[in-house]
Amino acid sequence: MKHIKTLTTRDLKESMKKGGCMECQTSCQSACKTSCTVGNQSCEKVK
Amino acid sequence: MIHQFQNNGYSIVMDVNSGSVHVVDDVVYRAIPTAERLWQAGVRDAQTLAKALAAEVPEAGQAAEAAEAGQAAGPQAGLKGAVPTEELLGAAEEILELAGAGALFAEDIYEPYIDSFADRPTVVKALCLHIAHDCNLACAYCFAGEGEYHGRRALMSFEVGKKALDFLVKNSGNRINLEVDFFGGEPLMNWQVVKDLVAYGRSLEQPYHKKFRFTLTTNGVLLDDEVQEFVNREMSNVVLSIDGRKEIHDRMRPFRGGQGSYDAIVPKFQKLAESRNQTNYYVRGTFTHNNPDFSQDVLHLADLGFKQISVEPVVADPKEPYALREEDLPKLKEEYDRLARELLQRRKEGKGFNFFHFMIDLSGGPCVAKRLSGCGSGTEYLAVTPWGDLYPCHQFVGNEDFCLGNVNEGVLRQDIVSEFKKCNVYSREKCRSCFARFYCSGGCAANAWNSSGDINGAYELGCELQKKRVECAIMIKAALADEEE
Repeated sequence: MKHIKTLTTRDLKESMKKGGCMECQTSCQSACKTSCTVGNQSCEKVK
Repeated sequence: MIHQFQNNGYSIVMDVNSGSVHVVDDVVYRAIPTAERLWQAGVRDAQTLAKALAAEVPEAGQAAEAAEAGQAAGPQAGLKGAVPTEELLGAAEEILELAGAGALFAEDIYEPYIDSFADRPTVVKALCLHIAHDCNLACAYCFAGEGEYHGRRALMSFEVGKKALDFLVKNSGNRINLEVDFFGGEPLMNWQVVKDLVAYGRSLEQPYHKKFRFTLTTNGVLLDDEVQEFVNREMSNVVLSIDGRKEIHDRMRPFRGGQGSYDAIVPKFQKLAESRNQTNYYVRGTFTHNNPDFSQDVLHLADLGFKQISVEPVVADPKEPYALREEDLPKLKEEYDRLARELLQRRKEGKGFNFFHFMIDLSGGPCVAKRLSGCGSGTEYLAVTPWGDLYPCHQFVGNEDFCLGNVNEGVLRQDIVSEFKKCNVYSREKCRSCFARFYCSGGCAANAWNSSGDINGAYELGCELQKKRVECAIMIKAALADEEE
């Protein structure tokens, strides 16, 4: 495309089908302990 | 829902509900709000869209014509743009193609899904073990009140820790990966129990088909070679508390006698980070009203050689002199922008580092269930006090109203657990209209409670900073994609 460059992202709608196993890391166990960020975590199935 | 912003020369359009991120030119950037409205009104052909864009967004037409002529569009460009140009038609075609593919103007279809997801049986998969309610530092901002959580000093016994791990295994259902963080106070003040509990946890893995991921959060004062060797063998992550520049660190993180702790810990942290090949650790600091120029602290940590850095806003009673205030926001946002630009620059120079809050996994990130169902506090993540009481998370420890039960009898307050289980981005009114909800999952329940008296409330200052961090993180992704071309 000439006007738009789309970054590769996970299709959230698609992730409803196979998601929800919740094997991924709990957000506060990473580094934060005072805030909540999940966008920086990785899926156990796709990594 | 669209969120669009410009940062560091990039024009970015986030399609919030699909998770798509687009880097666009000036024409598309100006056209997007009108295009969204027309898409929702049923417009599906490019000619119609381009015509409407030219009429309704003359500046988009001007920008297109100016782009064709190789010059910047200015306010003097008049209304010539009312006639759609080839450029505008091309932009309209691209917008419609992405919208048709569900990557623009996607609807929010997740609420019923998350509601049904919340009905699943509760399992516990992570514990924060308060292995020591005692500390050898006297940090001014400590939410644990110098380690004691406004209660009594205490060390967790091996027996209590053992019961906590048994409780975790018993309540973890079919989850394989279990997480245990050794937290405090300062966990190295009860080091033998940490080691014994790791050994006990390992002994449970095979018989129960579980895998423990142990982590440790430490101030470094008691860190030595023996601790380092054990941590490197057994801990999947280690969080090293340091605030940044010596004067900033020493002001907030003194020993109990008042002298600063910076000099005592820095060489130990550097050695530990190197021994872990600069991976699977974070140096983690806190910034306060005293150092709104916190990007300097992050860069100082990078200058010390650390590659995994997290520096976060303090959580404090607004009455405290070091608490962040609303008037700090413009400066803090500017600092995030500055840090993002500097991070990219250093990366180019081969001196790159990771900043925790700018790390976003766009392609391999969490599923929508994880993104919308909150942090897990009070349900899959619990904190355990030295004497075995269970709390929704480490931030609630000391607030008796939130005591859920204990490791002997398990969870006794299912009513509180139910409240936390229902906590997600749709239960928080402010999150419904926020573009960042897929990245923060509704934020921290404890922050919400502290600032609004409701776990479904919002900590607005924190939200403002979170949104800025997400924008910076996305801009960094755009810049990296640019470099790759």
